[in-house]
Amino acid sequence: MKATIERSIRNQLPEVRGVSDWLKSFADHHHLPLALRHDLDLALTEWLTNVISYGFGQAGEHLIRIRLACDAQTASIEVEDEGRPFNPLDHPPVDTSAPLEERPVGGLGIHLIRRLMDSVDYRRDGDRNVLVMVKRLR
Amino acid sequence: MPINKMPSGDGTELVVAGRLDGAAANELEIEVLAVMRSGAKNIYVNLAEASFLCSAALRVLLQYWRQMKNSGRALYVTKPSAEADAVLRMSGFRDQMVEGAQPR
Repeated sequence: MKATIERSIRNQLPEVRGVSDWLKSFADHHHLPLALRHDLDLALTEWLTNVISYGFGQAGEHLIRIRLACDAQTASIEVEDEGRPFNPLDHPPVDTSAPLEERPVGGLGIHLIRRLMDSVDYRRDGDRNVLVMVKRLR
Repeated sequence: MPINKMPSGDGTELVVAGRLDGAAANELEIEVLAVMRSGAKNIYVNLAEASFLCSAALRVLLQYWRQMKNSGRALYVTKPSAEADAVLRMSGFRDQMVEGAQPR
């Protein structure tokens, strides 16, 4: 049976730490392994930071909806925001073998999300971005 | 996130504990910059007790790794925790930035 919880936050960076605490409570309640909850926490932190930092320009307060779910096979995170369209899967991959002198400073957050999660799916739903990140329980 | 600063041989060690998220990355940047401006030959960022390392912190490490190198000095990450080590490895930073790292 799938367990699901949902909440919304404002597009303010200090809200992200509260989301991590909320995720930890969910992971504790469902006895998710420590390594898995770390990966979920990091992927969610990276995506929320990206959405809040770059998704809305200067225009006012917006809500970002987050849904956590898990069953016997997977844990998943869905994030929905009304920011400008942005598909992280279109972002070019990071060349991690390049010398640090030549590495671009940006793009690491999306790189980490793709490395940490077993699947990442994006869709534009009306005026909303919806990102679904899934991690298999091993 | 506590950051303790202490002399270490030919440089200064910054011992970082806990969660190195976006807000903590800003604190780390302030500390690294202060040590760099003090003229330290080497900066050692000890991540043995860092339980979480995000891309904002990676950007700080990369930025000041470059600045130190360009001025004939060095910044090293030392003793990364398992969590920090995994992120450094995934990012391609580990072998070039972690003191004594062996490629794997």
